[in-house]
Amino acid sequence: MKKFNLRGFLDQFSAVQIGKKVVRDANDGTIHNKRMDMRNDIQERRENRDWNKVWNDFLYGKPHEERRLGDLYLGNTGLYKHREWRGVKDTFYYFHMIWMYNYVHMVMDILKGDEPLTFFKGVWRYRWMGQTYLSVMHWFDRGMEGLRGEALKASAWHYRGMVSETIRQFMRMFSADKKLHMGEENQYWKKTIAHDETVSGNIFYGWRDRFDDVALQMIPYFVSCHVNNKTVLNYIDAMQSIGLPADPCPMCQAESGIFVLDDYPDYSPVMVTSNEACDGSVATSIITDWFLDRPLFAMPQPMRFDDPLNHKHCMEEIEQCWKFIEKETGEPFNWEEFKKHAEAQNELTEFEREKWDVAANTPYYPINGVAQALYRIYYSQDGDRPIWHEVDSHVKKILNKCVENKIETFPKTRHRAIAWSCAPLYYSNWCTWAYNCWGINTIINMDSLMFDKTIRTDTYEHALDDLARYNELAPMRSMAVGGHEHIFQLWDYMEKFNCDMVIMYDQLQCKGMQGIKGMFEDEFRKRNIHAIWVPHALPDKRTVSRKEIRSIINDYMTTVMGEEPLDPTLVDFDDDASW
Amino acid sequence: MKKFLGKLLLIAGIGYVVLFLVFYFDLDGKFLYYVWEPNAVARYDKMKRKDNTLTPYTDKANVMPDSEVKERTVG
Amino acid sequence: MRDLKHLLKYDDMLQEANNELVQQAKKDGKRALGYTCYFMPEVLLDLPGCFSVRLRAPRSTSPDMATYYMSNRTCMYGRCLLERAMEGGFNFLDAQMATETCTVTCRFQEHLQMMDVIKNPDFFCEFTDVPFKKNENSIEHFETQLQAHVLDPLKERFGIDTSDEAILKAIEEHNELCRIIKEIGEYRKKENPVLTGYEFQLIMLVSLCCPKYLIIPMLKETLEDLKTRKPDEKNPYRVRVVLAGSENDDPDFTKLIEDCGALVVADRHCYGSLPGREEIEVREGETPLRAVARHYLEYNECCRFMEQHSMRQRKDYIAKLVDEYKADGIIVESMKFCEYWSYERTIDTLIFPRDYNIPTCSIEKEYVNNAVGQLRTRFQAFIESIEIKKINASKEEEVV
Repeated sequence: MKKFNLRGFLDQFSAVQIGKKVVRDANDGTIHNKRMDMRNDIQERRENRDWNKVWNDFLYGKPHEERRLGDLYLGNTGLYKHREWRGVKDTFYYFHMIWMYNYVHMVMDILKGDEPLTFFKGVWRYRWMGQTYLSVMHWFDRGMEGLRGEALKASAWHYRGMVSETIRQFMRMFSADKKLHMGEENQYWKKTIAHDETVSGNIFYGWRDRFDDVALQMIPYFVSCHVNNKTVLNYIDAMQSIGLPADPCPMCQAESGIFVLDDYPDYSPVMVTSNEACDGSVATSIITDWFLDRPLFAMPQPMRFDDPLNHKHCMEEIEQCWKFIEKETGEPFNWEEFKKHAEAQNELTEFEREKWDVAANTPYYPINGVAQALYRIYYSQDGDRPIWHEVDSHVKKILNKCVENKIETFPKTRHRAIAWSCAPLYYSNWCTWAYNCWGINTIINMDSLMFDKTIRTDTYEHALDDLARYNELAPMRSMAVGGHEHIFQLWDYMEKFNCDMVIMYDQLQCKGMQGIKGMFEDEFRKRNIHAIWVPHALPDKRTVSRKEIRSIINDYMTTVMGEEPLDPTLVDFDDDASW
Repeated sequence: MKKFLGKLLLIAGIGYVVLFLVFYFDLDGKFLYYVWEPNAVARYDKMKRKDNTLTPYTDKANVMPDSEVKERTVG
Repeated sequence: MRDLKHLLKYDDMLQEANNELVQQAKKDGKRALGYTCYFMPEVLLDLPGCFSVRLRAPRSTSPDMATYYMSNRTCMYGRCLLERAMEGGFNFLDAQMATETCTVTCRFQEHLQMMDVIKNPDFFCEFTDVPFKKNENSIEHFETQLQAHVLDPLKERFGIDTSDEAILKAIEEHNELCRIIKEIGEYRKKENPVLTGYEFQLIMLVSLCCPKYLIIPMLKETLEDLKTRKPDEKNPYRVRVVLAGSENDDPDFTKLIEDCGALVVADRHCYGSLPGREEIEVREGETPLRAVARHYLEYNECCRFMEQHSMRQRKDYIAKLVDEYKADGIIVESMKFCEYWSYERTIDTLIFPRDYNIPTCSIEKEYVNNAVGQLRTRFQAFIESIEIKKINASKEEEVV
């Protein structure tokens, strides 16, 4: 048998690459025959090549500084000329356990749904579904660029959990959807409770044995922005087309626009809305009431939630919501069922705190900024579901391994950053880029720190008490409203998580954050903190593009910090047309 | 049997290589980007949609009048 | 029409938050309590020993310092108030009774809390949580909040008498003011009113911004004067409109509408009298504080209320005003960057012409109103469209 000659193979490969360049040059008509130069070039490269390094790069992937990830992009599409070679082990882990595993499970999760065939109807009927869902692997790719080893594994498990739960939710919506069943109010329609994405799923634990609760905007709006940021623009434009000015929060605009375009699934006889987190959410509730035109219970939470006097009011609102569900469904609240899920949810919260502990005090935390942020907001908003426990068990093993073996998961960390305020949904993976390009490692973010409450289940009163507090500490609201002292908890968390840099999200249409901007500026100066303001418009990439976001960070890192990029190919590239 | 297994292994091997090539060269992404998405968008853009602004805005009864919330749900 | 008694004085007094009546009350040893939102019951701030001042920032131009703190993407009302506070225009305040009812005014008031803006050693700013519903749970909650965040601090810090008797006395004075304003407002219902919308807004604003005990005698005289005032022989207005919408403390805006030929006959906006000047009724078995809490939730038509039936009833309320005040249309205005009214205005613009058959003009405005030319064009076009409709309707009647 002929022995495989690696050196010869690699030489040939180089020759092919250079040959391609000759053809391109010839086609351009600018340079004619450079064959001789090329030959010399090949010869020189052969002689100078460190074949051990080539072999090591093949086996283990290139060192961070030599990866040139920016060269992999195909024009401004965000597609890859080829996916990154991460070394044999990680490339094949990605191929088997992320790419193939997730494609297979995406099919299996659909088959597990109540009515698998409605998947196709859903794709056919809803833009947010057909335009978004299938491109989900690119969402993984973007979030996991450059990751290696345990960081790659742990972050991918988080993504996997979110995809699985997304499928479960849209399959339930489709099974119950009147629009996909010729207007029929089937058994699933009658047994599903719709609620705002800002109403936590734990409100409905008392009915989970008989009903399913699905957040109405979570999949059509929130998830779709992350996976394919083009879809949501249709909804924002639709809302403005009926007369809404362009300045209200674009999240609320998009949520409302889904109704204007009639792109909402009609899967429940009732609706529960909330004032989470701001004036815009109240307004969205009003639009929802109009377009859904069915019994709707608004469950507002008090704004000044630190005031103990407000707590009773909040608890009573939750109880009234339960009463409303009982009245509309004819089914009573089941305390045992509630207890079961609340206890399971506490396990998730407990593990989250363990994760924070590792993130805050060690360099061994294996979850990157985007996976941490999205997973946390998704599961704590959604409430207890089996998939979160499954994911956590995988992640726990990885986390323990990292700590026990002292594996530095982000070894090129130059700055430990905390991201504050609400993130750009169309570019939540900016932190993957920031680490690859500048070594800015986003340790924690504001939305991860909400919902930090264990629900006692020894008595009904305790449970209600804690549930109310849990909901008062909901995303965007926990730190953005109810008094400036919450938003300024940043300083405490910065210290707690040992961060030396703040990424200050500047949601241009968030009145709450805009209304306190100068105070932050003053404090940053006073405390001598490196803070980079990242302007954005939540789901709307047209206001501030991803490229502009990168350029702001680049400017700060070069002019203020005086640093050189780890990967210069990532400094300036165009991804305007990407998902 | 041996031949069959051999064929099976060969087919599986080819399948595996093809899948790896699809993965490595991002062919799934390219297909979705250049073929699927433009067609899907064309369909959604052309779709006839109900004008929801015509939804009537008539009075509604209070879904939870005070008389119905006096008693606690559970407790 | 001849000049209405005190009207020029009212206009003068509205040029400054710290006007001569406020100064007079301070000299009388009373505490000045600022507030921004109708949700803060002014009656409780008018207890013996103190007086309420609803904050405005008249004659504002470019709020540069406030824009640094609150960016240029927030409602200009909040920013102008902060600018005025930074300029020292609110140093007369002894306290700010704050509410987190809309985000930007909340942030403005938080700046008063955090920064040493108000140069008054006694100054404090206290927040009251305001519910989103009108049900019993909310009334109870609001009552508790008012006790803890309005009455208790006033008593502790300034020794204000907050007993039931004192509240009843304040309610009595408040109701007297409401009766006067209501009676004045009734003149707008006449076919050829002896009062313009602009004049009424001046009257309404002084009633919000001046100490009650000093302004009531003047308002009484104005009311007396109105009784003998004669309208112009020929009604100079082509149509009658209800002005609805968000914060609006600018009489010149109303004047602009009226200069275009539309008489503003009803004011359903944040600084308006509908609702705003209804008498508080203390029901049997109810404490005065409970009555105040109930009143300020029940009568409120703010688009912050989230209950399904409330959302819809407030449309009916505006339609009833159109009917009662014999208006030909509605002008719905919203302050730029006001989230609540951006949506409410959008719905109103679609709902009123379609479901209520009421012509509606929808506009967005700034606190410092520089876009006068554009607005004038919009109002003129709206008035003409109503007139054309009227002509067409009369033609149809003739044919029938």
